[in-house]
Amino acid sequence: MKNEITLQTRREFLRRTVLGSALSWTVPVFLADTFSALQAQAADSATQITTGKDSTILVVLQMAGGNDGINTVVPYSNDFYHRARPNIGLKADNVLKVNDDIAFNGAMKGFKELYDGGELSVIQGVGYPNPNRSHFRSTEIWQTASDSDSVEKYGWVGRYFDNACAGSDPAVGVTIGSQLPQSFFAKHPKGVCFSNPQNYRFMANGEATQESYKKLNEVDMSGDMQADGSTNDLSGDMLNSGGSIGMLPAGMPMTGGKAVDFISRTALDAQHSSDEIRGIAARVQNQAIYPGSQLGNGLKMVAKLIGGGLPTRIYYVSQGGYDTHTNQVNTQTRLLGDLGDSMKAFVEDMKAQGNMGRVLVMTFSEFGRRVSENANGGTDHGAAAPMFIVGNKVKAGLLGKYPSLAPQDLYQGDVKYNVDFRSVYAGVLETWLKTKSAPILGKKFEPLQVV
Amino acid sequence: MLKPLAEKDWNYSTAAHLLNRAGFGGTPEEIKSLADLGPEKAVASLLNYETIPDPTVNPEWAKPNPEEISKYRDIIRTGTPDEKKDAQREQQQTYQRRMLELRGWWMHRMAYGPRPFQEKMVLFWHGHFATSVDKVRNPYFMWRQNDLFRRLATGNWQDILLETGKDPAMLVWLDQAQSRQAHPNENYAREVMELFALGEGHYTEKDIAEGARAYTGWSMNFETQQYMFRPRTHDDGDKTFLGHTGNFDGDDAIQIIVSQPQAARFITGKLWNYFAGQVPSSELNDALAATFRADDNNFKPFLHTLFRSQEFYSNDIIRNQVKSPLQWLIGSVRVLQCDLPPNIVSWGMTRQLGQDLFAPPNVKGWDGGVTWITTNTLLTRYNDAQSLVEGTLPPLEANDFAKKAGGGGGGKAVKAMQRVRMGGVNLDKILTPEERTDKDAIVRSLQNRLFQTTLKKDQQETLRDFLDEKTKLNDADIVTAIRLMMSTPDYQVT
Repeated sequence: MKNEITLQTRREFLRRTVLGSALSWTVPVFLADTFSALQAQAADSATQITTGKDSTILVVLQMAGGNDGINTVVPYSNDFYHRARPNIGLKADNVLKVNDDIAFNGAMKGFKELYDGGELSVIQGVGYPNPNRSHFRSTEIWQTASDSDSVEKYGWVGRYFDNACAGSDPAVGVTIGSQLPQSFFAKHPKGVCFSNPQNYRFMANGEATQESYKKLNEVDMSGDMQADGSTNDLSGDMLNSGGSIGMLPAGMPMTGGKAVDFISRTALDAQHSSDEIRGIAARVQNQAIYPGSQLGNGLKMVAKLIGGGLPTRIYYVSQGGYDTHTNQVNTQTRLLGDLGDSMKAFVEDMKAQGNMGRVLVMTFSEFGRRVSENANGGTDHGAAAPMFIVGNKVKAGLLGKYPSLAPQDLYQGDVKYNVDFRSVYAGVLETWLKTKSAPILGKKFEPLQVV
Repeated sequence: MLKPLAEKDWNYSTAAHLLNRAGFGGTPEEIKSLADLGPEKAVASLLNYETIPDPTVNPEWAKPNPEEISKYRDIIRTGTPDEKKDAQREQQQTYQRRMLELRGWWMHRMAYGPRPFQEKMVLFWHGHFATSVDKVRNPYFMWRQNDLFRRLATGNWQDILLETGKDPAMLVWLDQAQSRQAHPNENYAREVMELFALGEGHYTEKDIAEGARAYTGWSMNFETQQYMFRPRTHDDGDKTFLGHTGNFDGDDAIQIIVSQPQAARFITGKLWNYFAGQVPSSELNDALAATFRADDNNFKPFLHTLFRSQEFYSNDIIRNQVKSPLQWLIGSVRVLQCDLPPNIVSWGMTRQLGQDLFAPPNVKGWDGGVTWITTNTLLTRYNDAQSLVEGTLPPLEANDFAKKAGGGGGGKAVKAMQRVRMGGVNLDKILTPEERTDKDAIVRSLQNRLFQTTLKKDQQETLRDFLDEKTKLNDADIVTAIRLMMSTPDYQVT
């Protein structure tokens, strides 16, 4: 606490950096100097320094709604498959064959090319014990990496930031979209999110207004220090409600406790990241043609930010619509086609930038779907499904084992998992982000060698 | 616990807190008159709204329309492919237009209606039962559910659960209308316990399956667009549900759910969170549940106790709740006494800020609290503040307008936007002529209006500096000062 510091307050720090624009954004000392001085724990040796030039990058791609893994990586020659899916089962001439048993959905040309080029690994049968079939609960389990019978308040990405990125730039995590995913929830929240770079700024006519805005949104850190020297942790209760725990220190005016502190921190992150992100968005040109979909636009923006050298370790994009209870084939064909084409364009772009070696994309969906089709040409909520990892250093090919579709091997009509998704997270954390996975995942999972 | 706040502790700040939380905030004059009433009468004046006439007129399409439905269905069944396509497009455009009207209709009630507390409760129930037009589709059903929430806003717990469960919007939303005894659909049976009444961990998978059997037969007549019981799809056998055994139907199942002590804990904890902005401690939740049960599961007397309680006015509760996007927009319009933006803009703003009325993100509703705030939504709030006070159009995505303003592509949307006019703030309404000539008075008065408290000293200085730099202070500068005040972390809490 008393290792007195060069910069007393964030305000002073801001004056010297952003307002004085003496330091450029890619210098990773941003909050590190102030925070590590203010908070003893931030000086942790596990802290990773991010430069935006050579650090490895993970792109997390959410396929929301519960993608039907069985019609994605298709066991096209399996009798059980065709018996369970007389109407929506994909026939041999409609799929992109990988071997005599397994094929990609015919819409996934992009994935097939990546696979043939040794840049895609397909992890088969990924799930977790006692699978939950609720979208919300299962998404929460994937986002927080919890067991299915316990509730975690922080996300696995958030815990990575807490454990390995203390004091780093707020843009260490970037979500394309207007809401932060639960996986980013952290004790010390980090990460910026935006949907449209043009609007990601404080709009005002006149220098004076801009300057006043900046000053009004600077926070005097001395005011929100807690007794234990920590700053505004995001407690679980606040996540649920926006309230605070504990009383305001005596004598403080009624200006709110922790809710406003949290917003102040976010305001600072917004102020800092907006100039940089808009600058990059305007400056960096994409070198591939992306589909005009939400996912295509998201990956297009991620590519720009990587090309522009934003010091980000984890990007988050999502694609929705996989909850195919009815008329599945049309919907899934469209979505998987979009996924494959968007991914292909992103890989091309990364290669043209010379950044392909630094980037890994990992997909997930909250669950797969029931083996048997339903009466509406769709499928209901199920359990295990494949994950995809894209990159030029991946262990390419089929990993794990395709789950058995034999009726006696199913659990309540669902395939059983044989790879725990947290082993995949552990593998990505250890082999790609180069950090110990156990403190982040809460316990030791055997890291799947994905790279 | 839950002792009433003493008369002597009642003041302008507590009155402001009550109006902010039990309503959508108000002007200094409105707060002053609540403060003058004393706590008992102030709470009663908001809660006992039944005697206040509400002249709001329903949208003209807000009634069953069997002809419209059967005409559409006939075309879909027998029409040529072109006729089908036209009918589908036309219906889609009609529905989009009606939804836009419905959103504006409700927001106007929140902003200008004579019963703000009732609307605050309707918003609670909407978030609680979290039904989305994205699946329900028909605007009439969405209006009908909204009307039900208003009618039963502070009524009885069992009535609300039962009527909501049998209302068309819910029957469609959670697939109950399609449930048959042969293969009961478990969607409603699960969510009514997990999300509406008990919470996870207070029932078993077996209870879900047995409950689903009990609810079979709850269906609707798609011709008349009303609930109907279909005896032939009902499972008439014995069920064992939450420890009770008998030949239960859906009404019995709901009654059994509500009789669980957990049902009182669950809903009172959620209401405390909604109004106080915190998850209650276990002891507080016990006390809340006890008073609710003592009031026979009626919400009105329970909420009276809540808003009278010392706990509700403690220092860690006041000005410590993140404003929801609706609270932010409606509250701003009320304190600034300016016009609610045209429907298309109000809808676009709240949607971009993460609270799309009639389209919550999922069955759990909006997470709320600090999750409203991201770098993105915070900057959007700051920019929307500019639109509100300066009367400029916010930078909404053209696609939003194209999609929901009634079809058409980007060109049509741009044209629609060109017709939109924003009001902006009228300084004559919120500052006296004397105040406008005195820079200190401007900061003091606006601060009181927008925050009902003082800003931090350095923030006040910044505002003062901003005004001082202008040699001759004109209205535009004062308007910008208002916008700057709204562009602070402090304005995002209430």
